Amino acid sequence: MKIAVCIKRVPEMDVKFRIAASGKAVDEMGLKWDMSDFDGYAVEAALQMVEKLGTGEVVVISLGPDAAQEVLRKALSMGATRAVHLKSDQVPFDSAAIATALAAELKDGGYDLIMFGKMAIDSASGATGVIVGETLGLPTVHGCTKLEITNGKGSARRELEGGAEEVTFPLPAVVTIDEGIARPRYPSLKGIMAAKKKPMDTRPAQLGTVRVTVDAMALPPERAAGRIIGEGAAAVPELVRLLQTEAKVL
Amino acid sequence: MPNVLTYAEVRAGDLRKISLEAVSTARALADAYGGEVHVVLSGGPGVGSHAGTLGEHGADAVFVTEHEALAQYNPEALSALVAGRARNGYSAVLVGASARGRDLAPRVAAKLGAAILSDVTSLRREGDALVATHPVYTGKVLATLRLTSGDAAAVVSLRPGAFSATQAPRTARVEAAPPAGDPSAVRVQVKETTTADSRKLDLAEAPVIVSGGRGLKAAQNFKLVEDLAAAFGNAAVGATRAVTDDGWRPHSDQIGQTGRQVSPELYVAVGISGAIQHIAGMRASRCIVAINKDAEAPIFKVADYGIVGDVFEVVPALTAAIRELRARS
Amino acid sequence: MTLSQGIFALCLAIGAAFFSYNAQRLVRYLRIAGGSAGSRLNDIPRRLWNLLTIGFAQTKILRDPVAGPLHAMVFWGFLVLQVGAIEILVQGVVRGFSYGNFVPAPVHWVFLLSQELTAGAVLVAVGALLYRRIVVRPKRLQGDRVHSGDAILILAMIAALMITLMLVSATHRVINSEHPVAVQPVSSPIAAMIMALGTPPNVVEAILATSWWTHALLILVFLNYLPYSKHLHVIVSLPNTFLSNTSGPGRVGVMPLMDLEAETEHFGAADVDHLTWKNLLDGYTCTECGRCTSVCPANITGKALSPRKIVINTRERTMELAPHLVSGAAPNGDLREHRLLDQFITEDELWACTSCRACVYECPVSIDQLEVINELRRYLVLSESRFPEEVQPAFEALERNGAPWAFPPSSRADWAAGLDIPTMAELSERGESPEVLYWVGCMGSFDERAKKTTVAFARILKAAGVRFAILGQEESCNGDPARRMGNEYLYQMLAKQNIETLDRYKVKAIITNCPHCFHQIGNEYESLGGHYEVVHHSTYIAALLQEGRIPLRETAGAAQRIVYHDACYLGRYNGIYDAPRDVIRQALPVLDVVEAKRSKDRSLCCGAGGGRMWMEERTGKRINVERKEELAATGADTVAVACPFCMTMLGDAGKGTEGYVPVVDVAELVASRLKA
Repeated sequence: MKIAVCIKRVPEMDVKFRIAASGKAVDEMGLKWDMSDFDGYAVEAALQMVEKLGTGEVVVISLGPDAAQEVLRKALSMGATRAVHLKSDQVPFDSAAIATALAAELKDGGYDLIMFGKMAIDSASGATGVIVGETLGLPTVHGCTKLEITNGKGSARRELEGGAEEVTFPLPAVVTIDEGIARPRYPSLKGIMAAKKKPMDTRPAQLGTVRVTVDAMALPPERAAGRIIGEGAAAVPELVRLLQTEAKVL
Repeated sequence: MPNVLTYAEVRAGDLRKISLEAVSTARALADAYGGEVHVVLSGGPGVGSHAGTLGEHGADAVFVTEHEALAQYNPEALSALVAGRARNGYSAVLVGASARGRDLAPRVAAKLGAAILSDVTSLRREGDALVATHPVYTGKVLATLRLTSGDAAAVVSLRPGAFSATQAPRTARVEAAPPAGDPSAVRVQVKETTTADSRKLDLAEAPVIVSGGRGLKAAQNFKLVEDLAAAFGNAAVGATRAVTDDGWRPHSDQIGQTGRQVSPELYVAVGISGAIQHIAGMRASRCIVAINKDAEAPIFKVADYGIVGDVFEVVPALTAAIRELRARS
Repeated sequence: MTLSQGIFALCLAIGAAFFSYNAQRLVRYLRIAGGSAGSRLNDIPRRLWNLLTIGFAQTKILRDPVAGPLHAMVFWGFLVLQVGAIEILVQGVVRGFSYGNFVPAPVHWVFLLSQELTAGAVLVAVGALLYRRIVVRPKRLQGDRVHSGDAILILAMIAALMITLMLVSATHRVINSEHPVAVQPVSSPIAAMIMALGTPPNVVEAILATSWWTHALLILVFLNYLPYSKHLHVIVSLPNTFLSNTSGPGRVGVMPLMDLEAETEHFGAADVDHLTWKNLLDGYTCTECGRCTSVCPANITGKALSPRKIVINTRERTMELAPHLVSGAAPNGDLREHRLLDQFITEDELWACTSCRACVYECPVSIDQLEVINELRRYLVLSESRFPEEVQPAFEALERNGAPWAFPPSSRADWAAGLDIPTMAELSERGESPEVLYWVGCMGSFDERAKKTTVAFARILKAAGVRFAILGQEESCNGDPARRMGNEYLYQMLAKQNIETLDRYKVKAIITNCPHCFHQIGNEYESLGGHYEVVHHSTYIAALLQEGRIPLRETAGAAQRIVYHDACYLGRYNGIYDAPRDVIRQALPVLDVVEAKRSKDRSLCCGAGGGRMWMEERTGKRINVERKEELAATGADTVAVACPFCMTMLGDAGKGTEGYVPVVDVAELVASRLKA
């Protein structure tokens, strides 16, 4: 069984972001980077599937600058078989353009299953995987919270508002992965050492025409400092009022 | 092509609010282009009855496709239908970014070879480009994106609740439209649909979480927390490590460093002092309310709103207030 | 040579040969160990001192007020009796050999008296020890598959040796009473009794001969039994104490540095041939006394961990595997798979350890149980990525944020807002440097309760006019949680980063209020090239108070009864017991500084060490509750601590219950008394 997993290098989200001088991107100074969360679940799910079958390979692919190789190495240290780096110094905010490059790479790969995270946690579009699936003309399931492949057929569960769907589909197929499917394993030192020797191919990314660009990036308005609004049950009406009008969570 | 196409989502026979938001937004955009708003309305038999409502919100034409196989969400058939209609020349195709919408929009974009703007919170026309805002980096940054697609269509999905459903009444032309191909010939088969048990909202999904800690003094007092959660209607119940270790609540309810990390819209911490491990698990909540009788408790440092008081007095009062609020709306 | 001499010479030869064979075999087994123990012949004076005190003077043994003196008696007696044993063995071959032939009579009398008194004392001690084992049955002598039969056999053999020795002397006296009664106060009454019974001379001869042969042969039997018994410690415990590092030389409690670049099949240890020869020697040395287990906080509260079992298992597995490895034949699959990790020592046992070092401290024969636990943990994490799942977020947070919790690094110095404390970066830009760097640590930076200690200490420093700075956002976790949990890779990454930062600012003097930061930066960073003078805040404050540099209020303030809880990494790891107590006494007019039942080097761990702060405690009683109850039982109003982890653990215990005793840091006590 041959599985491809497309992953993206994104910044750690638990920081106070600053806007770069250009006003069109975040300031990368001091940022730490990792694989996008959902991509991590996808890689883990792929590794578990191949382990369960006892045979197969997991190929990880990433489109991005040279630094994208870091997340490919991480996937290799988790146990992926080999990596492909589609080199592109800029990663546009254009899901369709990226999907074109990925589809071109995946088309002749002979993959039984192509996996994506349901969305990249930085650009948060959630469209690239599905566009790739449609472009390749393959059955596509978006947002799987459960996934199983048995005898060349896939079954998955996806969450929708007010419920969930259990679906089946033939292979080859494209799936995008949601939370809850698998917890990414912690690479052992052994895995990290082995990853250094696994194959990583680099080729230029063949992006589609870029039609979506960034006009500006800005920080949303600051969160007001917290305060104690009162004592005892008497403070409840004021709390409810604030939650409704100020915080707008009710 | 001054016209704007939109897709009306119907669930269990009902027109969803996001469909009206989408139509209203399409109306505003079409007015900017000097064009019409067309709506693809599809579903099981009888779905066409919603055309009137769509017209009230600004639809000029509604293309109705009724088919058994379209009664449930059918992405392959639906995307073919919408894309087929979109090839007739529209400036934009708008879809509400519900779970179904976020699945549908990219498919339509792929079929059209179009560019896509996902999950936008504002949208306007600027010359021959569409400009939209889209929260990125887990909502910490706001991106303004520009889609310049020339003659080709653009697909845009709209964040639910970010746009208003406004009235712009007219009588919409209703046309019956055949499905594209055979809607039942799909590769992804739906075997089963389950409806969520709203009483058991998962901590990862619940928009509201009410959590209890040691301040509740005994396991049976957790009923206070459960009552408050029930009053909210869309809340899950969480707990601190202290109470799960003592067996008051199952470990799966534990929120914290070694338990679940959550980011709901609203987090209500009842009788929780705020140990570092717990705070690490809920800090990302959009709004935090703390109720504790110790004014020095660390939880108040991270809470947006705090009430210092006896949880046994404050929580029932809050429960009653929320219940009343829900009943009124 | 007579027949009997001939036979005895033969016995002696056989006994010696057999013993030599076993000794060589056991030494050969040590060679299967692949790990590196470093040089054990450095700092000979220190090693001799340990040998003298812990070994000969039995200082650790005497920590038990009952068994201690009893054992010391047997041991010292044993040493004294060796002199007589040699005489006996030589007598068997050289007729009529006696020390009396070579030394003046008074000297000979001293020798005779020493043997008599010693034999009597040993017999009494052995009787008491047998009584203790068979009737009293103390808890620590049970469990862990200890060989009680072995112990009783040994005690019986020693008793037999003493009895036969006295019979030899007594019957000699009957036959030829050449020495004064005063010199043989034990044999004389026995001799008198034999004579009073009217025992015929040939019977006396027979008793003498029998007793003599029994005694002599028993010596040889005893000697050759040792390699098969836990009593092997008789031979190896003194060398083991000499070769051990657990009481120095060098820094105590420092984990050995791993070479992560090494081309190796495994990181850490899964089996005895991955350990060091010293670990295997520890296995030989264990007396199964159970003192280590009796002070282990995990064991006390019902977890599976028993430090004694770790050592016994090491020996068992060595005996199982080594014969095959030394013979050159590759062990078959089943034997290889029956490894120390998992088959003998389980994950549950390993993760239950809080690295408090009580076991190591208590061991009378200087075994390092903790070293084996740490090497097995390293294997679990580095080679097999197996660890409690709740630990993964801590590892990931350390990698990303440089802190074991999901807090953004940018908020590290938030506690300092408005306090006008410069950062190293700010000072460096102005071309200045502070007197001392205040290393805050992750708890002190992020935990709301611990931040109060941070602020309190900062206020004290300011009041004393100390020119200090902090690293602020450039500070990163010292790496201790990663290292203690076995993740050496992550640890070295974090440590090297900090060393690089510290060296960039040419930092030399550091103060910190966290004992784990203290131990890491002061002791463990050395092996990675980081050399700094680190002082714990309790020591620093004590010094400032001593110099009168801290302006305290004149008014007495409320009197209190305080009990101080010794932090493991301050106490047993670094020998700091008095400074925090001095601080408390000087800062507060207290009613009492009382001591918990287990205090100072016997202090019971709060339960957070060894990375356990980030793990769930799923079995038995909670360690922090056990300790808090003990502290509360002193009747104190307040518990004082000098560690933010102890603060959290002891502060959490008993929260919300009647009679809850609050916990404060010693810095907070002082800060509360600062002149406004």
